[in-house]
This record gives sequence, structure tokens and C-alpha cells, in this order.
Amino acid sequence: MHALWQGLELMDFSFSQEQEMLRDSVARYLDKNYDFDARQALVSSAAPWSAEVWNQFAELGLLALPFSEDQGGLGGSIGDCVAFAQSFGKHLVVEPYVSSIMLAGAAIAASDNTANLDWIEKLASGEAVAGFAYEEGAGTAHPGLIKMVAEPSGDGFVLSGEKRLVLAGADADILVVAARMGAAGPVALFLVGKDADGLNVSAYTTIDGRSAANIRFDAVAVGADAMLLADASEALEQIIAKAIIVQGAEAVGAMDALLSLTAEYAMTRKQFGTPIGTFQSIAHRLADMKIAYSKALATLTYTAALANSGAITARDISVFKGQLGKMGLAIGESAIQIHGGLGLTDELNIGHYHKRLLAFDAQFGDHSYHLRKLGQR
Amino acid sequence: MNIDFSPELEAFRAEVATFFATAPTPAIREAGRKTTSVFAPFQECMEWHKTLFEKGWAAPHWPKEYGGTGWSVEQRFIFAEEYRKADLPPLLPQSLGMVGPLLIDLGTEEQKQRYLPTILNGDDFWAQGYSEPGSGSDLASLSCRAEPDGDDYIINGSKIWTTYAHHANRMFMLVRTSTEGKKQQGITFLLLDRVDYPGMEIRPIVGLDGFPEQCEVFFDNVRVPQSGRVGEENDGWSVAKHLLKHERGGGSAASPTLVRYLERAREAAAIIASPFGGVLADDPVFQRDIGELEADVASLAHFEKLAISGHSIARDPSFPSMNKTINSELVQRASVIMNQVSGVGGLARQLEALRVGSNVEPLGSEFDLISMPLYLNSRATTIYAGSNEVQRDLIARTMAGA
Ligand SMILES: Cc1cc2nc3c(=O)[nH]c(=O)nc-3n(C[C@H](O)[C@H](O)[C@H](O)COP(=O)(O)OP(=O)(O)OC[C@H]3O[C@@H](n4cnc5c(N)ncnc54)[C@H](O)[C@@H]3O)c2cc1C
Repeated sequence: MHALWQGLELMDFSFSQEQEMLRDSVARYLDKNYDFDARQALVSSAAPWSAEVWNQFAELGLLALPFSEDQGGLGGSIGDCVAFAQSFGKHLVVEPYVSSIMLAGAAIAASDNTANLDWIEKLASGEAVAGFAYEEGAGTAHPGLIKMVAEPSGDGFVLSGEKRLVLAGADADILVVAARMGAAGPVALFLVGKDADGLNVSAYTTIDGRSAANIRFDAVAVGADAMLLADASEALEQIIAKAIIVQGAEAVGAMDALLSLTAEYAMTRKQFGTPIGTFQSIAHRLADMKIAYSKALATLTYTAALANSGAITARDISVFKGQLGKMGLAIGESAIQIHGGLGLTDELNIGHYHKRLLAFDAQFGDHSYHLRKLGQR
Repeated sequence: MNIDFSPELEAFRAEVATFFATAPTPAIREAGRKTTSVFAPFQECMEWHKTLFEKGWAAPHWPKEYGGTGWSVEQRFIFAEEYRKADLPPLLPQSLGMVGPLLIDLGTEEQKQRYLPTILNGDDFWAQGYSEPGSGSDLASLSCRAEPDGDDYIINGSKIWTTYAHHANRMFMLVRTSTEGKKQQGITFLLLDRVDYPGMEIRPIVGLDGFPEQCEVFFDNVRVPQSGRVGEENDGWSVAKHLLKHERGGGSAASPTLVRYLERAREAAAIIASPFGGVLADDPVFQRDIGELEADVASLAHFEKLAISGHSIARDPSFPSMNKTINSELVQRASVIMNQVSGVGGLARQLEALRVGSNVEPLGSEFDLISMPLYLNSRATTIYAGSNEVQRDLIARTMAGA
């Protein structure tokens, strides 16, 4: 060890043995069952995602992982999720893990109303899927921007407004909905069944292959028990921060794939009698991609460790989201450029990785938002 | 130095604007608004081409004797500006901008008489068959082979990235007629008067936006007449180089398109909420970003205006490469800001709503509908017509030893 470090306690950024085992078993399963062709076949099929893969995620314990043991989960940490989520990015997984488990599931778990806790068991076993109806457009960067309103009515509430990009929104059994208590009140969270009257669902597929919906709530009435949290801003920020980290891990997995695929292509594709990677402009692009990826990996690893220790701040999340969003786009754009015409085709995986990175950047405040947030005092 | 703002020109502007306000059918207008690539939706685009032809306005940049308009530089620029303001589909470049001007310059009298009228009136669409799987940037290495046989050539090999070949009825292409000497020396430029010759097969390639735009074209013993040759056998490279000048700019102005993209971004930003309060258009960061782009587009417009006025800037040997580099990178940057404005609104894949005449309502605004496909397609601008890496090499080379 270098003398400078003597006497200092080194921080530990490596995965534990259990985390490595989890990571490897997810990677093995996806390597075997989720290659790009299988993924594309799934995306172009009528199914929103693969029920078989979802069951396997349940078997592997991924769905139960983040929930606490007393709620029937495995009490896993954010580091556990980061350990395997990179392979979600590498395989461009379309199953609604983050939205159903890390967002909607976590919101139910954070509820002070025990009436709905049995949903956790259903989500963790894969029996049910939940949608997280939070986004209202423009990347709803923080809960303060929520406009949808919940008005008290009789014993319960009436929800009115519109949600966008509700992942799995058309297929979910339940929706966790963020709405403001009156025009100026706190943001609360509600549980709404998929068959509630007044739900107007427009389903679609996202550019990165995921099933999503825009959902209009036309005076949707729910009972008092449907309220998960009356003042949810703080809980939401914490839940979303964790989801951002896991989505960031996926993004880093996608960046990793882009880097290695592009480096390999640049060394094999020849023009003018030589591999294109020998042209300085291409070589430097590859070098920049590698630098960006390495920074992204470092920020992911460090931020996950911070989150694990519970010491994470909003600023750390903005550094994370701003940097990973920006670097992901830079890596994707370079990967396409280096692939030339091929990079512009639907048949090649390169563009699909880039689309996942575009989606990562747009959700929960894009890099421009987070970087400006950092610059504010 | 003088810029003409005469009342005659303003009258001309009004005439153009009136025509654009009245002549296009609703389908043509829809196609214009839904154009998310340099290549507009084919059918409506050709329909509009025919309408413009009837008005005498299909090819403002052509010499008057071949059907050009004989307009002044100012008029041509005004035409381009009004065209963009009206969100009309740009005419396809391959016929009017490439093979047409080439034939005017280098075609035989017979070729001119046979092909120019139907290029001009929009009856024909020509695909450009240059690139091959193994020959992109290094185009001169192309290997699609043509063997002379009597009055014909017999073609074997394949082409790739051939834009709209699946819509084309004709094609101009480069073939290898000799493997002797330097690779540039054995290339021949051919006109194919049809694309359904026995042994020819065209397979569309789906792009990032989900639509087929480029194609693969396969040749299996395809017999075509030698009368379609432009220039001498084995001298096709100099023919292609001549055409490239038309392809890489000089002919038409790109800045009005960019101005319009930025206007559309501004319009959308004026109604989209900013996470910092108010609307995005009031956000200082957005203002700074779009301001910088507008300034860069203004510089491009100045550059283009000087060029079409015959200023010496356009006689610089690196002019076509500079023009292509500036323009392509601005298109990408404009599309980035448009996509940023749409944000999550751009994440829905909406193939049906994008299709002209589908009558499918977009999920959000029309701006959100087009911003993502436009962004994805514009990744191509730094790749086609000579990648920007190659253009920068060319620019640098013109300075070496200068
Ligand atoms: C949307 C679109 C439309 C097209 N339409 C047509 C058409 O109608 N007809 C037609 O014939 N072709 C068409 N093309 C093909 C286009 O001309 C080629 O894609 C282009 O020449 C690049 O070739 P390539 O794709 O094989 O990439 P490559 O040449 O393999 O290039 C890959 C990468 O290497 C870089 N590179 C290559 N050589 C050098 C060098 N010397 N120095 C530095 N970097 C280098 C490139 O810049 C690029 O980043 C189209 C392409 C696109 C994307």
C-alpha cells in the first residue's frame, strides 16, 4: 500500500460475496435467455413484457429484494440492486422492475396505512404488477411540480388530472398515484385499482421498448383506505433517489455495452485498407467514450455506497443524474457515429442502447435540470 | 456591398407566400409538418413536386433553359424562407439536386432529352446507388461489378443505404468496370432507366425511427444498356466527384430549415412548464442555449447568402466540406434542443400517428410527435454525404501547403 494511505481506513467499494453471487446469477440468466434477438422479438410481440422472465426475477429473489424482512421482503440494500441492474442495461430489459418494485412497491412499503400492505407480497412474488403514476410531463423533476389534485369527498377522495409515462400503466393491477391535496396542499400518495371508474388509459410502447401509458383521471373516486401517505414529498424524494440510482446502474450497463461493442467494431471495420479505429479522430472518440464511461462507473459506485450508508443528499443525486445523463448521451452519439450507416439501423443493437440512455436522461429531470440545480445556491 | 430590400422583392415574397398558403393539399401540409428527416414522406412529397412543377418552381437552382426559374439570388433565398415558414415538405435531393444538375453538366444530348423533363416534372424518382457494405467512406474501393457484354453491362454485387430505392423508378450508380491501376480508375457511372430489371432486388432497411428509408439493392446478373453510361468507361470517379459538389451544398440554402426548427422549439417552449417555474421559454438556460444556436444559424445564413451570390468564399476548395460540416452539425444541435424541450413527451413510439393520412391523434402535441424521430434521424447528417471526420480531413488537406 502507498505510504500516503497508511493509517487511513480505506473505503470499500467492492461488492460483497453475496452481491457478486446475485450479480452473476442474474447475468447468467440474462446471457442465456435475453439476447438481443429475443429482446427484439419480445418488444415487437403483443406482450408488454415477458411473464416468464418476470417469474424468473421472482425466483431469483429480485422482486422481494428491496422490501424489508418484516414486510415479507429480503431486506436488500441499494447496493444489491446496483449489483445486478447493470446487466438489465446490458440486455435492455423491458420488464418493469424499477417502476413496479423500486417506485410503486417502495411507496406502498413506505405507507403508514397498513390496509394495503398485502400488495407487497403480491408484488414481491410476481403475482401482481404496480404502476407508478407520478410523471406529469417535462420530466417532473421533483414532487413540488405535481399538479394533479385530490379533493376530499365523503369518506374518501376524488382524483383529477393527467399522468404520463406510467410504465406498465396499461397492464398494472394497481397504480400508485401522486396528487396534491387541493391546489396548494401537500403531495399525497394514493392506491388506485386498474378498474377504477374514470381512468382513461392511452397505452403505448416507449422508444426503448417498454410498455407505458398516459392516464387521465376524470374524477376518480377512491376510499379513505386508498391513501398511502398524506404528506409524501419527503418519502417520494427518497424513493425516487433510489430508483434513479438503479436506473443509473442500468444506464452504466448500457454504456459499458456501447463502449465494448464500438471498440470492437472500430478494430474490425476497415476503410481505406485499415481499421477505422486507427484514424485519429475515431481513436480519440473512443478514448473520450472510455473516459466518460469510467467517470460514470466511478460516480455510480461512489453514489451507491453513499446511498447504502444513508448519507446521501439531493446534491449527490443531482451530480449522479446530471453526469450519467450527459455522459450516456455522449457515449451513445459517438457509438452511432463510429458505426456509420449501420448505427442508424433498427436491426443493430447500438441505437437501442442509445434510446435507453435517452429515456434515462429524460425521466426525473434531465441532465440540464440537475446541472442547473447544482449551480444554484 | 449592398443588400436588396426593394418593394419588388417584397411583392415576390407575398406572391410566394400566397401560393404556399393556397396550393398544397391537406395531405401535403401534413407531410410537411411530419417531415422528420431530410427525406420527406415520399408520396406527398412527389405530389407537391408536381404542383411546384406546374407553377414553374420545381427547380429554382437549375439554368433557365432547362426549366429553372431564372430568379435572382435574393429571390431564391426568399423562396427558401417562405417554403420553410409554411412547413412544406422539402423536395427530394437525389433527382433535382444530384442527377439532374449532373446531366445538365455532363450528360449526352440524348440523356438530357430523355431524362431531364421527367426529373423536372416529378414523374421520376432517382435513387443514388453508390455505397456498398464494404465501401462507405472509402467509396472508391467499391466492388459492384459491371462486365461489358455487347451493348450492355452485366451487373453483379450489391449496394446499401440506397435512400428510397423502394420508391424509386430509376437509379444512378457507380460500378466497377476495371480492377487495374488505382481504385478510382476502374469506376463507371451508370444511369439505370428502371429498377425492376430481372435479377435486381430491393430490400428496405428499418431506421432508428422505425420507418424504412434506406435500402439494400442486390444485383444478380442484371443486364442494363451501356447507353446509360455518363462519361467514359472507367472515368466514373470524376463524374461522381463532379456530382458531389451538388450533393454537399452550394445549390440550396439549409439555414431556413434550421430557423424553422428553432422557431418550433421556441413555440413549444412557450407552453411547456419549466421545473424552475414559469414556462421553459423564460428559463435563462434555455434562452442562452437557443440564443447560441440562433446566432450560429445566422452565421450559416450569412455564409450561404454570400455563397449563392458568387462571393469568393464559395470558390474556396474546402467550401463544400465546410458547408456540409456546419449544416449537419447545426441540424443535430437543433434536434437536440427540440428533443430536450419535449423531454418525456418524446419517449412514446408513435409510428401510426407519424404516418401521413393515418388520422391517428398523437398522444401529446405534434411537436412531441416529431422531436424524437427528428433527433434520431439527424444522427445521420454527420455520416452521409461524406462523414464529418472525412470532411474535416478534406478541409485540413486544402490548407496543407497553402
Ligand atoms: C440516412 C442515410 C442515407 C444515405 N443515403 C445514401 C444513398 O442514397 N445512396 C448511397 O449511395 N449512400 C447513402 N448513404 C450512405 C453514406 O454515404 C455512408 O453511410 C457513408 O459514406 C459512410 O459509410 P459507412 O456507413 O460505411 O461508414 P464507414 O465508412 O464505415 O465509417 C464508419 C466511421 O468511420 C469513420 N471514418 C471512415 N473513414 C475515416 C477516415 N479516413 N478518417 C476518419 N474517420 C473515418 C467515419 O467517419 C465513421 O464515423 C446514406 C447513409 C445514411 C446514414
